Amino acid sequence: MHLKGLMFDPYNNAYIVVLRDEDGHEMLPIWVGKAEAGAISMALENVAPPRPMTHDFMKSILDAYDAKVISVVITDLNENTYFAKIHLMYQDSEYTVDARPSDAIALALRSNAPVFAKESVLNKQSSEELEQWLENLKPEDFGKLDS
Amino acid sequence: MGQTDPAPQQRLVEYVVDRVLDETNTDTKILVLARQDGHLDSFPIWIGSAEGHAIKLALDTTLTPRPMSHDLVKSFMEHLNVTVRRVVIGDVKNSTYYATVYLENNGVERTVDARPSDAISLALRTRAPLYVSEDVLARRNTANLESWLAKQDVKSSTKQPEVQDSCVIRCEGARKDDVDLFTETS
Repeated sequence: MHLKGLMFDPYNNAYIVVLRDEDGHEMLPIWVGKAEAGAISMALENVAPPRPMTHDFMKSILDAYDAKVISVVITDLNENTYFAKIHLMYQDSEYTVDARPSDAIALALRSNAPVFAKESVLNKQSSEELEQWLENLKPEDFGKLDS
Repeated sequence: MGQTDPAPQQRLVEYVVDRVLDETNTDTKILVLARQDGHLDSFPIWIGSAEGHAIKLALDTTLTPRPMSHDLVKSFMEHLNVTVRRVVIGDVKNSTYYATVYLENNGVERTVDARPSDAISLALRTRAPLYVSEDVLARRNTANLESWLAKQDVKSSTKQPEVQDSCVIRCEGARKDDVDLFTETS
């Protein structure tokens, strides 16, 4: 999946990370909090903060021991509980770590690791919901990320 | 305290996290550290509200349905068999504190640069000790902060529910130049 965008949801006072598959058929919206959205947008825009932010710190710890993020998989989206797995390679062994999708994506962007979504998640979370939501969206709602 | 540090030139004093105060009129929180040996010397650090929240969760040992960012860091370290030996606030530049996280894995020590809030969030979750270097203690400018916190302490010891209110009043009353705000992001 590619990260298509990040936008503000004024109705829920939250942010939506929109993932889209390679050929653009499937969209997966993931609602995240403000701090989580900030961590993702910094990586998206390649902003180098003066001090390491939490996910930079996370990556520094992995780097310190030569552990690599191989991939991130969004495994389930259930009401308000979102699940992801981070696949790590460390000393020739693979490790799978449970995470929130927001942390997993923020880390994947900093590690240049691919993001995948399970097909079951895509089928479950039909993008109709998002399309409806998008139709109601006004142009002013975009670009509010800095607020 | 500090005798175990491999860099003997850096004398350290052990601290513990005392509390996280809200500064309700700005989007910040104040992380207050206290001397581990009970000496009265509060060490406040201005941090962001999300960072304060992460520390509060660890302080109150709140269980969240999903792992928060620092729980994820802890989980990585458990998978890789890396332990946090200690966290040291070892430098201050332009009113910004710098922390170093000392890690160990099978005898291999590594250090990672961090903001104090990230370092402390992780230290609380891994029960690692926290130190402030004497150099930093000497260089902070606390004349105003000490009196600011002393007033907080008086109010909080007399009546618990007023703490938040008194905090708001104090913050509004104090101009930014009155209190030399020592933060972690500048």
